Formats: sequence, C-alpha cells, structure tokens
Amino acid sequence: MFPSGTFNARPEQDIAIVRTKTQWLLLVAGLIFMFTLILYIPLAWQSWLIFVGIYAIAALGVHIMTGLCGQFSMGQAAFMAVGAYTTATLSTRYGVSPWATLPLSGIAAGLAGVIFALPAVRIKGFYLVMSTIAAQFIIVWFLREASWTGGVYGTSVPKITIGGEALNYVQYWWLTLGLVVVAIFFAKNIQRTTTGRTFVAVRDNDKAAEVMGINLFRTKLLAFFIGCFFAGIAGWLWAHFLLYVSPNQFAFKTSLWLLGMIIIGGMGSTTGAVLGVAVIRFMDKLVDELAPVVSAAFPSWSGQVAPALSLIVFATVVIFFILVEPKGLYHRLQRIILYYRLYPFSYHR
Amino acid sequence: MTVDILLDGLFTGGVYALVALGFVMVFKSSRILNLAYGQMIAISAYVLYWLLTSVEVPTWLGILLLFAFGAALGFLIERLAIRPLLGQSFLVLLMMTLMLGFLFQGIIVLIWGVESFNLPFTPSGMLTIGDWQVSPATTWGFVVCLVVFLLLTLVFRYTKVGLAMRVVAADHEVAQSLGIMVRRIFSLTWVVSGFLAAMVGILVGMVWMVTPDLGDLVLGKGLPVLILGGLDSVPGALLGGLIIGLVEPLGGYWAPGIREIVPWVAMLLILLIRPYGLFGQKDIERI
Repeated sequence: MFPSGTFNARPEQDIAIVRTKTQWLLLVAGLIFMFTLILYIPLAWQSWLIFVGIYAIAALGVHIMTGLCGQFSMGQAAFMAVGAYTTATLSTRYGVSPWATLPLSGIAAGLAGVIFALPAVRIKGFYLVMSTIAAQFIIVWFLREASWTGGVYGTSVPKITIGGEALNYVQYWWLTLGLVVVAIFFAKNIQRTTTGRTFVAVRDNDKAAEVMGINLFRTKLLAFFIGCFFAGIAGWLWAHFLLYVSPNQFAFKTSLWLLGMIIIGGMGSTTGAVLGVAVIRFMDKLVDELAPVVSAAFPSWSGQVAPALSLIVFATVVIFFILVEPKGLYHRLQRIILYYRLYPFSYHR
Repeated sequence: MTVDILLDGLFTGGVYALVALGFVMVFKSSRILNLAYGQMIAISAYVLYWLLTSVEVPTWLGILLLFAFGAALGFLIERLAIRPLLGQSFLVLLMMTLMLGFLFQGIIVLIWGVESFNLPFTPSGMLTIGDWQVSPATTWGFVVCLVVFLLLTLVFRYTKVGLAMRVVAADHEVAQSLGIMVRRIFSLTWVVSGFLAAMVGILVGMVWMVTPDLGDLVLGKGLPVLILGGLDSVPGALLGGLIIGLVEPLGGYWAPGIREIVPWVAMLLILLIRPYGLFGQKDIERI
C-alpha cells in the first residue's frame, strides 16, 4: 500500500519491479555495498559469505517450486549434488571448461528434477513430499555407489580460471553475487509473467487452474525444472568453490535447511527467501563461534557441542517462527514499511 | 542359506511394520504425518540405554520407565507443538514434526555424542527354528509385532475407545456430534504413538546399532512401508512391513549394493502405480 496521495498513473509503473528514483538509488547503493562487502570482512567470514550466496540460489529454487507453485520439494540438496557432479565429471574427466558446464549443470539437475516430479502429476501433498524424499536418497545413493563418481570419497574439481589465473575468494564472491543477482531478478520477474501466474494459480487451487485451461502436467514439471535448475547452478558454484565433491555434502538435512530457510523468510516471497538464507546462515555462524565457549563451560560435552547446537538452534528458530510468525520475516518487514508509509494515519489494520 | 535370509527379512519386516504403525496411528485420526517419529524412536533407545547403564535400574524397571517416558513424550508433543497448529495447512504441520525431529537429534548428539552401542540385554548367538537359523533380536521383533497388531485389532473392534478412534478417523464432525471429544482422541493417539516409539526403540536397539543417525535410518525404513500399505491402514502397515522386509534382502541377494535403496525404489513405483497404497483410502489424494 502506498502513502496517501501516491498512485500509479501508468501501467509501466504498475508492473515495475523498482518503482521510484529513491528505490533505484537504494538498489544501486545496496549492490555496490554487496559487491565490496567481501573487502571489509575478516578472512574467516569470506567463505561464509560465499556460501550464503550459494544457498541463496538453491533457496530461490525451492521458492519457485514450493513458494510459487506449491510443490513441496525435500530433495533440493540432491539436485544440487546432480549439478555439482555434472561439472565435476565433465571438467575433471573430459576437460570441459567450467564455464561451459555452468548451463549443463543446471540442465542436468533440472532434468533429474523432472524425472522425479513425474509422479507429481498424479499425487500431491504428502505423496509428493515422499517422492522428493525418495529422490534425495536415491540420487545420493547412486552417487555413492556408481563407479565414475569416486564413491564415498568423492572427486576433486578444477578451479575456475579467467585468462589462466584461478579465481581468489574475492573474485569468487563477485561471480557468486553476479549469479545471485541474476537468480533474484529471474525469480522476481517470473512472478510477473504468464508462467509465474500459472504457478500461483496451480498453488492456490489446482482444480480451478485446470478448468481455466492451464496444463497442470506441464506447469508442475516446469516449476520443478526451474527450481532444480537453480539447484544445479548452486551445485556448480559449490563444487568449484570447495574444489571437491562427495555424497555426504548433500545430505537430507541440507534439503530441510533450505525449506526451513524459506519458511523463516516468508513463503512465496523472493526477498523472504534471501532473507531467510542470510538469517539462518548467520545464526549458524554464530553457533560456530559460540560452540567453543559452551564446550569450555561443559567439558563433558566438548566434542559434540557444535553439531548439536547447530541442529537445536535451527530447529528452535523454525519452530518459533511456525508458532509465532508463520508468515515469516518478510511479512514482518512489510508491516514495518507499511507503518512507516502510513505514519500519521496508523489506522490501517 | 537363502531361506535364512528370507526368514530374517520377514522378521525384520515385523519391526518395519511397527515403525509404520506409529505413523498410521497418528495419521488416521488427525491427518498429520509425524516425521519426528524416527527420532522419537532413537531417543527412546538412548533413554533406555542411559537408564540401564548410568542409573543402573533393573532391566524390567527400565523398560517400564521407558514406556512411561514414551507415552509422556507423545502427550507433550501433541499438547505443546501440534495442538496450537490444528487446522493449518499440512506443510506447516509437516515442518513442525520435522523440526521436532531435528531438535531430538540435536539433543541426542549433545548428550550422547557419537557413542554407538547395542542395548545391554541384546541376546547373542543365533536361534534355530527347524533347519533355519535366525537372529533372536529380529525374532523378538516379529513376535512383539504380531502381539501388538493382534491387541490393536481387538482394541479397535471391541472397546469403546477403539470405536471412538475409528469414528474420529472416519469423520471429525460426525465424531464431534456423537459426543466424542476429538481433541482427546488426538491426544490419545499421540500417547499410543509415543508408547509404540518406546517399544520400537527397544527392538531397534537390539536389531541395529544405536547411533545418532538411527532416527533417519528408521524413518527411511518406515516411510516406504507406510506408502506401500496406505497411509491410514493398520493391516496395510503390517503387510507393507512384511513385504518390504522380504523384498529388501531379495534385492540385496541380487546385487549387494542395492539393498538400502530397494525400499525407496519400491515406494516410487507404488507412488506411480497406486499412490494410495495397498489398503489406503482412495479419497486421500484430495487432502
């Protein structure tokens, strides 16, 4: 809602993602800040920041599948693994340039998603959740057992190079951020296209959508393809950042973390998805920093404090949000902005 | 040799059936898929281990205390976490139970670390039935499974509470209008489910090693059984458990690596062909 007296006079204003000059200014300032952020923070936080970017892309994929189209995916980590292994195999074994494997990773993950989404046409709700959980376990099992993947120990991945020089952390962050910006723009923009509106129609009432002439089969598969494509891109970044992939990196837990992130951020909102990733990753980092203090206080638990606290804190935060703020952080942010916009007339709700 | 493997699979299937039963009890009455169930089982196994080795209570008392613990756990989960969310969309409840599972796993890792063990009273050696040799732990599992299913069938058929549970499962509004307190039945099913988790915890603690990953392992066995049998069918859980128990070693016999993936592939096939399972209600798709 706009402040009183402000209206959109032209259709272009109505559909614009960035509406006013102030917002453009803020956007540019924010982007400059994000691009230079890695220069100000300590070294220990640099890899953390890059992982925030990687998770953000994967979470945007979940956002498109779950938040927009209402198809719950609990196998996002496995689709990330498909992307990561695609680039690992192609670039290590066949010497394909990492730049060429970027779209291939996305497409491979997207196709894997479509295969496991095929039952999704007949089933929904619990059954779809089951099918994606099965995808998670089957894909990770396959990567562990197949002969060309390196088994449990995984396989190494070459560095990304530009003009013969490998990227350092700062440059890798710029690459990650670039992809994140493209992903956010894509996710934001898709909501304004026919495809995005079809997704929302299917989410809100699939029978009504079908009656209106929407092809449910195609829509659901497309949502899965796009969501898993994002996962594949995230997997590509993941593999080339760690320079090493193994099946254990893509656990069921990671899939659930991603789902938890978009719940905390606010289901169905692009900003919310990114916000949720940042908040959860930040808390995880805090737990990492706090763990030595806690282990010093309780020496008998010393070895296991870090993994245990990470689980407990994440679970507690998500439970808190489900019980107290089910619409997520983005909703709360909106309310605050609304309050500011309507300031003297706070009668609205 | 082959018969031994099949028999062992069949008996392990009894344990799977009990795992699936815990899901079915809750799902049937309140349409909630309790994904925390695997961790409820794991935490039961750990609590029993703690009671027997650290507190050093006698085994029979430890088991009794564990049953009380399981029932209390079920009751508390329903009252504190599930009841405030009644009537919300299924994803919310699903996430809630998943996060409870995370919480339990975190507590397990925090207190017990990476310790792994079998419960102290696990019988060793092999049991000979006729010409075949089976592990006594899985035999116990199978016997307990049969007894529990028989008892449940009797309860559902001949007692007032069982009848009330069936009415609630069939239709909440009708149950309400007949004077059945639906919420109390929900609570009761969670208590029964917690009790079953304690029982399965004991059996699983004998059949497999207890590790912090036990919860995920149990969940991984229980969900395919659940889908095969149908989400809301008690006999389906029994039959599904036995079938998965039999199919798993057969797959392992054919190619050793695929044993752990067989239940999931079976589940995907069922989802494609007959999503409501062997005995599930068809209209379940509409939820």
